[in-house]
Amino acid sequence: MTSEPFILQAMVILPLLGAVGVVAASQMGVGLKFIRQLVLMNVLITFVLSLGLVTGYDPTKVNSSGQFELYQFKSEIMWLGSPSNDVDPSAPKIVGPDIRISLGVDGISLWLIALTALLMIPAVLVSWEAIQERAAIYYALMLVLESGMIGVFASLDIILFYIFFEFTLIPLFFMIGLWGGYDRRWAARKFFIFTLAGSLLTFLGLIFIVLSHSWMLEAMTGRSAPLVFSIPHLIEHFPRLLAEPQNAAYWANVSPWIFAALFAGFAIKVPLFPFHTWLPLAHVEAPTAGSVLLAGVLLKIGSYGFLRFALSMVPGACWWALDFVAILCVIGIIYGALLALAQDDIKKLVAYSSVSHMGFCMLGLFAFNNIGITGGMLTMINHGLSTGALFALVGMLYERYHTREIDAFGGLATRFPMFAFCFIVVSFSSIGLPGLNGFTGEVTALLGMFKTRPVYGILSLSGIIFGAWYMLQLVRNTMYGRVKEPLTEGHGHPATAAHAATHTAPDASHGHAAHSDGHGSDGHGHGHAAPVFATHHTDLNFRELAALAPLLVLIVWIGVAPQYFISKMEPSIAQVVKGLEAARPANK
Amino acid sequence: MLELLVILIPLCPLLACLAITVLGPSLKENSHWLTVLGNAGAFTCALVALIGVATNGFPEGSQTIPLYQWMSIPGSSNTMALDITIALHIDSMSAIMLTMLTFVATLVAIYASSYMHGDPGYARFFACVSLFTFSMIMLVLSANFLQLFMFWEAVGLCSYLLIGFWYEKPSASAAGMKAFLVNRVGDFGFAIGIFLLWRTFGSVDYVDTIFNPAALASVAAKYPGLLETICLCLFTGAIGKSAQFPLHVWLPDAMEGPTPVSALIHAATMVTAGVYMVARCTNLYMLAPHAQLVVSIIGGLTALIAALIGLTQTDLKRVLAYSTVSQLGYMFLGLGTGTFLGIGGAMFHLVTHAFFKALLFLGAGSVMHAMGGVIDMRQFGGLRKLMPKTYATFLVGSLALAGLFPLSGFWSKDTILASVRMAAHPEAHKADAHPATTDGHDAHGKPAESGHGAADHGKAGHGDAHAAVASVDRTKVKLFGIAATTWYEILFWAGSFTAFLTAFYTFRAVFMTFHGEERIPEEAGHHAHESPSAMTTPLIILALGAAFLGLALGHMSAIFNGTGFFDGFLSKTIPGTAGHHDADWFVIGLSTVAAIAGIGLAWMMYAERSGVPAAIAQAVPPLYRLSLNKFYFDELYYIFLVVPVVCLAQLSRFIDWIGVDGLVGFISRIPGAIAKLARPIQNGLVQFYALSMMLATAMLLWALLVRPGL
Repeated sequence: MTSEPFILQAMVILPLLGAVGVVAASQMGVGLKFIRQLVLMNVLITFVLSLGLVTGYDPTKVNSSGQFELYQFKSEIMWLGSPSNDVDPSAPKIVGPDIRISLGVDGISLWLIALTALLMIPAVLVSWEAIQERAAIYYALMLVLESGMIGVFASLDIILFYIFFEFTLIPLFFMIGLWGGYDRRWAARKFFIFTLAGSLLTFLGLIFIVLSHSWMLEAMTGRSAPLVFSIPHLIEHFPRLLAEPQNAAYWANVSPWIFAALFAGFAIKVPLFPFHTWLPLAHVEAPTAGSVLLAGVLLKIGSYGFLRFALSMVPGACWWALDFVAILCVIGIIYGALLALAQDDIKKLVAYSSVSHMGFCMLGLFAFNNIGITGGMLTMINHGLSTGALFALVGMLYERYHTREIDAFGGLATRFPMFAFCFIVVSFSSIGLPGLNGFTGEVTALLGMFKTRPVYGILSLSGIIFGAWYMLQLVRNTMYGRVKEPLTEGHGHPATAAHAATHTAPDASHGHAAHSDGHGSDGHGHGHAAPVFATHHTDLNFRELAALAPLLVLIVWIGVAPQYFISKMEPSIAQVVKGLEAARPANK
Repeated sequence: MLELLVILIPLCPLLACLAITVLGPSLKENSHWLTVLGNAGAFTCALVALIGVATNGFPEGSQTIPLYQWMSIPGSSNTMALDITIALHIDSMSAIMLTMLTFVATLVAIYASSYMHGDPGYARFFACVSLFTFSMIMLVLSANFLQLFMFWEAVGLCSYLLIGFWYEKPSASAAGMKAFLVNRVGDFGFAIGIFLLWRTFGSVDYVDTIFNPAALASVAAKYPGLLETICLCLFTGAIGKSAQFPLHVWLPDAMEGPTPVSALIHAATMVTAGVYMVARCTNLYMLAPHAQLVVSIIGGLTALIAALIGLTQTDLKRVLAYSTVSQLGYMFLGLGTGTFLGIGGAMFHLVTHAFFKALLFLGAGSVMHAMGGVIDMRQFGGLRKLMPKTYATFLVGSLALAGLFPLSGFWSKDTILASVRMAAHPEAHKADAHPATTDGHDAHGKPAESGHGAADHGKAGHGDAHAAVASVDRTKVKLFGIAATTWYEILFWAGSFTAFLTAFYTFRAVFMTFHGEERIPEEAGHHAHESPSAMTTPLIILALGAAFLGLALGHMSAIFNGTGFFDGFLSKTIPGTAGHHDADWFVIGLSTVAAIAGIGLAWMMYAERSGVPAAIAQAVPPLYRLSLNKFYFDELYYIFLVVPVVCLAQLSRFIDWIGVDGLVGFISRIPGAIAKLARPIQNGLVQFYALSMMLATAMLLWALLVRPGL
């Protein structure tokens, strides 16, 4: 498939149409069954389109002037103002803004769009049975969210980016607030206000970039310059403007402030320590699909923002802020892991582990070299996959027992072997076991940081010990040991019922555990009737396996052979690094 | 053709693992066939590869076979590129490891097919064993440090899964987690070592680092401390993986796993990965004499401590586990001497140990099998008539472990001790020009320090390395103000004493288990019998190896005036090992006396169940308790590591709740507070509004009319 811009346009529009269709269908009295299928179909088509995007993106493509054609699948429509290239030098000196609806992907956004389209599949499948009330609205919101998330990554215009950026907040706000857990309203409000407060500052920073570009252009050419909002244009032209000493001096003064403004919004999104406190609450209260998308995609908007705007447009200020950000990352990695160690709710544990993992991601980006940024990018993808999968798995457990208390569970490996297998694979991916995706990203990010600032590399490396600790403790407490499950059929107090379940643990497990070395031949495991469990819950069904399968495939693929993914993102990352290298201060 | 065979070595067990994973539910108790076939196939290929290396089938004596590019990130003007290719590096050292590994793995798989019979996790067990075999083969064949690290962790995963195989047992899942976490601590240092190596050399490929003597020498000349640091960091990984002091605590607990696993992973193969890695990095360590000294000290200390703990343990498998820790300590002791005699000896001990320790573990498993799962030596005794085959083979293994002539353990252990003694008296071994006569024993030959050793061996590249090696003067090396030679002297006597302890605790176990009155625990019921032939046949084969391997390939074939086959073969990778060494009769005599004394003492104390052990225990209660409680390492770690981290975690939780979230909550209340200030104005009283409007209008008028310039 060639670089057809319609693929990208369709990926943004199709979910929106789907949302409208779903609402319309429900108004016409169509049943939930049909609506779910409609939504799934929509999501699958979008995913297939994303495959076209991935296979069609050619990182080696060059344009007529021999430069890499980084942005592909491009399309744009004039939206506000007059196009800057139409400006006649002799024309009157009033030049308007140049805002376009401009879409395109490069090697960075490509993978995040694909990740979004992929994660929608498990997001829909885990909601299948869990969402029964007002399901049409729920699915419509989810599709709107998908459109927003793809739009964020696909926007090549600052205004468009910002619109999509804020646009993602609204559907998730309602998803948490309406379909969430006990404390959903507070969680939704906290999530909304936190992110909105930050993003307003970010918007200020973005606007200031545009204004500064215009001012510096005026200073250089002496003519009135248009307000250019095109992201690729700005990235490409800043170095040229800064060649002028006067501009460089101005920029050196202004860019730290711009960085600070960008930082406010993006650091909350990532989230970096100490801006993370909205995250666990939002995760715990959100419905499963909300958590999957929140962790899988929405957090990446923060790190993507850093990469696309901070690192690309104000590289000098990034060098200035390097130590500050790196220290926050290191604290986040260790502190997040410690917090995860202290949790008694599985979902909270996973939420805090996100803080730790995103610390690795940001550490990679702030290594400012190809290796580190590649590692940061890989960590974004990997975190989306493994944390998305973990939330999906926790959701599956919750759907069965209506509790997520770690202490309420035990011996699930005996109870649900397939579930335990998936859970352990994903846990090891999160721990960073080589051969699975987590290792690939983290080792690359750390190698990058080890080159730039070894001390942060070493400090954050200690996170791998704690990471293994909390994850293995979770696996041990819930998957291993004797079967222990909460009895929640119709009961309101899962914790009290949990103890009763231990007495009904199957004979097989008793007999088994009694042997000190349980060597085989002496009869146990033979002739036992099928074990009787306290509840009638079954192992993963086909739908749940289908939700996890694509994630597991990618978890192994990226672990075993990540080169395919890296090769597509490399030229785009090289461009970012080029800018960073040029802006590198002499003393850093 | 040979390359294809080398690729087949890891491929066979990998395919077996995948096949069992997919077909497991339908294969059930036939799963072992796939593992046995996969391991046997790998063994066949490894054997052919070994012969290929021996007969110079590989043009360079070694070969790196690239498989695929794992990761390639281009650099920019200021930064380095990262290029990792998954490749297989075959040379004589990896060929030796592979042959040993696949051979033991095949025997263990056959043994386990009977041992694991009837277990509900039968297929899972063999899938894990195949995965382990694959990972271990890939670890051995690694051609760069990152790949080494990846499979280093992968074997750790297999170990975790197999230790916790009976996951319903809390102690098993706890032991698995402990093993993984303790290893992670070691891997933390290991990773830093690899990072440093990468930063220094710009590559993690062996070809650019440890196989590139010129680069090593130039770095050593420029930053002498750097290589020492790298070596110490890498050694941290080895400490974890090979269960050395102070990270040895996981290995005894790992005995929770099924016994075949203990034999394969926790005795013969995985735990030797650390030894293999350090031996692999010989060129690097040769330039870091301080780090080498540390390796020796840690090794010697571990050997001694583990042997002391082994004296009082009552669980047969744990005795063997501590003995493994102790023997691994010997290997490091040899590696750290900085002599090629020691390195060759350590590698040889690795191979012989694999045979006799796998034999002992499988023998213990056979006893356990008969005793209904009981492994506490106090509960059974006098089994030699009941289980004659197990007894005979176990005895061979014990004699080999005790290091009695002419069994395999004698050759390898004495070589290590001789090398330590050589390091303690370098002047006695100087160069041919100064034949050693000072202390009576006439070992001269061509030790490493002479610098001549390398001249007539191998490739030019290795020769360079040795030239650099020669430039390091070990006699000036000091640690904590004590000269290296003094350290080695201490270590030699510690090692010799450990040899005595080893013989003692090994035969304590033998006598307690097989001698005296026949006693069988209740758990065994009427099942007590000799194990089936699927279990005894591997025992017999291993016993043959444990008995004759040393004689056949011996390091000290020098007694018969010549270089042993093993050294000659290993010298294709580490040329120095082929140097001619005369027998060190002092060491041979001393260690033989120690072994016989140990066995004799054990006979006196345990063969007839006398009251002597109890009397000794009562005579020195603190020492007895120290040994019985494993020097309280677990308790110390619990109090000083686990508890603080858990407290810190709870503290973080509190801080996050009160501090961070509280601060955010505080900030969010500021707008509300400001609003509160303004709220009284909106009091709903029309008069108040009218008054305010009046006042405001008046002020505006005043401002506009009276003070227009304001």
